[in-house]
Amino acid sequence: MLVPTVVLSGIGLLSGLGLALAARAFAVETDPRQDRITEALPGANCGGCGFAGCGDFAGAVVRGDATPDGCPVCDQETRRLVASIVGLTVQDRAPQVALILCQGGDDVAAKKYRYNGLASCASAALLGGGDKACGAGCLGLGDCQRACAFGAVEMMPSGVARIIPARCTACGQCVAACPKDLIKLVPAEATIHVLCSNHDRGPAAKKACAVACLGCKKCEKSFAEDPRIKVADFLAYIDYEHVPDDPALAALCPTGSLVYRGAAAPAAERTSS
Amino acid sequence: MKFSGGVHPAYHKDTAGLQIEAMPLLHRYVVPIAQHLGAPGKVLVAKGDRVARWQPLSEPVGFVSVPVHAPTSGTVKQVAALPHPLGRPMLAVEIESDGEDRPWEGLAPPADWRRLESAELRRAIQAAGVVGMGGATFPTHVKLSPPAEKKVDLLILNGAECEPYLTADHRVMLEQAAEVMEGLGLMMRVLGVTRACVGIESNKPDALEALRRACPPDVAAEFTLLETKYPQGSEKHLIYALCGRRVPPGGLPMDVGCVVQNVGTAVACLEAVRDGLPMTERVATVTGAAINVPHNLRVRVGAPLLDVLAHCGGVTPDVGKVIFGGPMMGIGQFDMDVPLIKGTSGVLCLRDDEAARFEGGPCIRCGACVDACPMGLVPSAMGLIAERFRFEELGDWHVLDCIECGSCAYVCPSRRPLVQHFKRGKAEWREILDGRRAKAEREAERQSAAAKA
Amino acid sequence: MQLVLLVLSAILVNNFVLSRFLGICPFLGVSKKLSTALGMTAAVMFVMTLASTVCWLVFHGLLRPYGLEYLQTISFILIIAAMVQLVELALQKLSPGLYRSLGIYLPLITTNCAVLGCAVMNIMNESSLLVTAVFSLAAAMGFGLALVLFSGIREVLALADTPRSFRGTAIALLTAGTLSLSFMGFAGLVK
Repeated sequence: MLVPTVVLSGIGLLSGLGLALAARAFAVETDPRQDRITEALPGANCGGCGFAGCGDFAGAVVRGDATPDGCPVCDQETRRLVASIVGLTVQDRAPQVALILCQGGDDVAAKKYRYNGLASCASAALLGGGDKACGAGCLGLGDCQRACAFGAVEMMPSGVARIIPARCTACGQCVAACPKDLIKLVPAEATIHVLCSNHDRGPAAKKACAVACLGCKKCEKSFAEDPRIKVADFLAYIDYEHVPDDPALAALCPTGSLVYRGAAAPAAERTSS
Repeated sequence: MKFSGGVHPAYHKDTAGLQIEAMPLLHRYVVPIAQHLGAPGKVLVAKGDRVARWQPLSEPVGFVSVPVHAPTSGTVKQVAALPHPLGRPMLAVEIESDGEDRPWEGLAPPADWRRLESAELRRAIQAAGVVGMGGATFPTHVKLSPPAEKKVDLLILNGAECEPYLTADHRVMLEQAAEVMEGLGLMMRVLGVTRACVGIESNKPDALEALRRACPPDVAAEFTLLETKYPQGSEKHLIYALCGRRVPPGGLPMDVGCVVQNVGTAVACLEAVRDGLPMTERVATVTGAAINVPHNLRVRVGAPLLDVLAHCGGVTPDVGKVIFGGPMMGIGQFDMDVPLIKGTSGVLCLRDDEAARFEGGPCIRCGACVDACPMGLVPSAMGLIAERFRFEELGDWHVLDCIECGSCAYVCPSRRPLVQHFKRGKAEWREILDGRRAKAEREAERQSAAAKA
Repeated sequence: MQLVLLVLSAILVNNFVLSRFLGICPFLGVSKKLSTALGMTAAVMFVMTLASTVCWLVFHGLLRPYGLEYLQTISFILIIAAMVQLVELALQKLSPGLYRSLGIYLPLITTNCAVLGCAVMNIMNESSLLVTAVFSLAAAMGFGLALVLFSGIREVLALADTPRSFRGTAIALLTAGTLSLSFMGFAGLVK
């Protein structure tokens, strides 16, 4: 019984020794903090931070090329943890959500030509900015949907993309993917939005799309003074810092481009915002 | 010499026998500020201003930039983003004509190009807003200013006009042969070269004969009748066909000592110096089965498309597509309000049944596109890769060497939208390259910072 | 001459992957790209040749003299595992890119039936040390040939419009079967 035990453990010991030597010869230096940060991160490798995956971002944080709050996906807790690993502190950030600033589906928006090329917005946008008559219309070919690592973008039957807020992590990948720059990150608790990006004058905008913002200023004028919604260059902008939670504001809009998505809105609209 | 690849589309040069006719004065012109490759100029006029013919409407910003000029006298109605043939609305000056066509007092005096230095000639050409009239609209004075380290010894005059349907260059060579040759001499003087080649496709022997007869004794030009094959008029292929030099991938003609200029550009350069007249008109072919009276028109830059079509008898009811330029590389229009610009060599009106509106099928790997590609690329593989969004692999296939001539899509039996894939692929691949370069720079910066510390 | 025939038969006729169906796991796992396939081939060649040789030495120098043949499998696996660890360490240092792209398949060489099978086969055939070394190398080359051929096919396959139900592993297995069939054509090349 002794011989086999000795033989086997001898082989094991020799291999172990060899490996130990090899490990020294081929040692790769890694910062242990990088591994700890990688572990703390969500691990979705979505690329929302601008680096190639969570490991790359962790390395950048350790090197000082990225700030610890650079990961847009993880929660505040994780950001603090990441910061503490490299001995920094982070400021609190209000949770955000992506929003597609267009609701011009095929049912309401006119088209200027028939597009039959590659099913990608970026390709369509190369052909005179896309097939929508509106120069700032959603092309509906799903570049944002493909870019989203969390399945938070759905394509509506009318050919417009919609964000599912419950799934959105505000990583910003869809913002970068949209060739028409129609997607913005907005505060998650905001309840009122201008879902249009068209800067054309009223008549031109109306001709291109039935739900376009015409720049009529009805919303702006509803404020006695210090308006929270301002019209600049024929498009309404919301001051998300102080916008009131008021469904009546949306009712003022003649085209429906000003949309209320708060608690008082019908449930179906809230979930499909 | 013959280049490999290329295609033989139906040429339809039906308008070759029609004399150039000057378009009557219109009541309204829309002059885009950006009609050239490079930085758009700075607008000099405002709403309500009175302008005279040939008066500059913008001034160049930087070296790769040229001004645009008023096509007639009148009042500026608006300066705004208006429909542009390239697709997106761009800044343009709309002029309401006063019908007087009063010339501008500030015009440069006529001069003799044989007595001017090349720097003076270059300045005059830039001030006149001359751009390449073959369609690429690259500012001509830039092309005529090769950097000192690039020795240019050959000027090539491009009279190939390989695009089907177009006959504007052909008519210019026939009717303004003397001016073309004198313009060639002028450009040779600017470049300081003693040798020039004139390349013309074999379907226009009369043009070659006209130019040969009109050649002044002090202009040393060689005349070559080239095979009629698309894209014979592409710079790289024309250079190879005429002198056997190969432009390296990613390089310019001046890398092999050549400069290529279009025949229309030669005339524009001559007019800019000899008469002091800025470039406010060009010759464009209005043709196609869906136009009632095809024309070779001398049209002022900024003339709205609808007025041009109306002058040619209007379009037939079955019109399906209107293209600026030729059918191979031209740009389909979707707004009839666009103006003709300096690069518009033709307006092609196709019938609905002619206009190719195919749903692209799957690649059947027949290899026809590989045979047809004049750049020796593999369009089939590149198309499949682009279709699957794997743009980072396109660099291995040299996608940036694609000249978007459309030969591959023309021969494809599956009607695949190959050129469109490559346009997207080139844009994406350039972005990837930029990203890599930025990353490498960051890395180098970090390392140098670490080395200092 | 004998050795040449041995090499030919190991590469073509009795190809480990396509005729003996050993080492299917990395064959399907790392054959998506030519570059990773080449890296895997190099790793397997190194491990297989060295492991078989060391195993032969251990078997004939240690196990057989003491009548411990029954320890063959466990001690061989121990040796192979050590070899794979060595390769892993070296790769991590020398070629981090390849290390990342091989991923889980690199440690899996440990339990790769092709490597163990090769070592065992040499013992079973009572081969000499020279024949063992040559045969192992040739077997690894055969494995590499199959892997490289297959990865070439899969690179093109990735651009094809495969019917939805056949996408991914399904079409890969079908292709592997066809490739295997074609290798059957080498049967009888070496008597």
